[in-house]
Amino acid sequence: MALFTIFNVAVLVVLGLIARFTDKNITEKKEGGYTTQNLVIIAVLAAIAGVINTGVGNLWYLVNTSLGPLGGALIQGMFMWAYILAVFIVRRPGVALIFGLIEAGTEVLLGNAAGIGTLGWGISQGLAIEAVLLICTYSRFGFVTAVMAGMAASQFGTLWTSVFYGWDPSYSKDVWMAAPINLISGAIFSGALGYFLATKIAKTGLVRSAKK
Amino acid sequence: MAGDFLSFKEKGSVLNRIYPLVKMIWVLLIAVGLFLFKTPFSGGVMFVLILTLSMAGGKISPKEILRSALIVFGLGFLLMIFHFFFDPGEVVWSWYFLTITDYGLIQGPIFFFRLSVIVLSSFLLIWTTDTRDLMTSFIKAGMPYRYAYTIFLAMRFLPLIQKEVDAVQSAHAIRGRASGSGLSHRFKLWQRYVFTILINGIRKAEITADALECRAFGYKKQRTCVKDVTFRKRDLVLPILTLLILAGLIYMEHIRWIDIFGL
Repeated sequence: MALFTIFNVAVLVVLGLIARFTDKNITEKKEGGYTTQNLVIIAVLAAIAGVINTGVGNLWYLVNTSLGPLGGALIQGMFMWAYILAVFIVRRPGVALIFGLIEAGTEVLLGNAAGIGTLGWGISQGLAIEAVLLICTYSRFGFVTAVMAGMAASQFGTLWTSVFYGWDPSYSKDVWMAAPINLISGAIFSGALGYFLATKIAKTGLVRSAKK
Repeated sequence: MAGDFLSFKEKGSVLNRIYPLVKMIWVLLIAVGLFLFKTPFSGGVMFVLILTLSMAGGKISPKEILRSALIVFGLGFLLMIFHFFFDPGEVVWSWYFLTITDYGLIQGPIFFFRLSVIVLSSFLLIWTTDTRDLMTSFIKAGMPYRYAYTIFLAMRFLPLIQKEVDAVQSAHAIRGRASGSGLSHRFKLWQRYVFTILINGIRKAEITADALECRAFGYKKQRTCVKDVTFRKRDLVLPILTLLILAGLIYMEHIRWIDIFGL
């Protein structure tokens, strides 16, 4: 498990550095605490994502518990699109982690099939996005950063999955083989989708918070 | 969205009266304990205890537990089967490419009980705790009320989102075929639903934020609550008792289970 943890942290750092040195979409870092508007947007997005993710979660649990890490990896990335969306709308340090906690809390109260264990994914996936954004000094919010953050969250979330479901990386080759699938799944379903939604919402001009 | 079978029920039970934050800590305590177990027997004991507590202490009927059984036990069962076949160890049964190992036979039930007990205790928290009371207890524990309110607001928005989904579905239905269509058409419809709901949701959030700020939300550090929850020392009996049981089971795992069952 120690090796798997080191591997996951290394993946986070590499993805963060890729985002830092390739994303040209540089914006000014926002300072200060959260406004009421920020908090309410996080709450609403968490509620919407909580409902959707509880449904997707049931499918994921079924695939993950019956087919193992490889099955779960196929749709592992489908949970973090809302994290990316919230981060790209609010753009403040700590948003991903707070969002992860609230979204996972909502899922627990909605009856997620992992119970309170869902909080583990909320924290791990939120932390992964925060790590990538921290490396990018919270000032890069382009497509590359979104994709890298999505990939990082998708892969780092498997650390908790391994602990919770007992996929021991020391003997389970599937956990290692699932890594590239997790990364691709996270890039497409979380990073690209979250970025696409954020830019589409901004383009409509209907949402004040999305106007940057 | 989860059905009615997974909502708060005020039944005047012992668990209803326990301080919400204490119940939350109790669930976390159980989760940590289950991760420390190394044999299925301890998980089995906890499973029976939580099931009994649900019915006796929470007044949750067996019918209600059975309605959520697919979530509570179904996935745990699948996880157990997976561990039977994929864990390493000495082969005790094989058929073509399928093999069951001795290590898998022990690990399978451990993970079944781990998942089932964690989920059942989480559901017990949902069944016996009002979300508003839980948030009030968080604030009383020192959490800034603006953040606690965010969690509460997320729950408050859930039925509104459901109404929004219904409204968008109806709006699409009167403009064309919304049901009984092909898979690709349904996928396109869902794309539109999600996008519309997101836009409407964020706009509602902005309006709500404006309304909250107009009422000076966040101006003062302290906030009073309409419905108060009070902590009593006797509420601690549940987590302390659980802690003792968990410690006892862990001790038994190291000393007795191994001798008794020859593990």
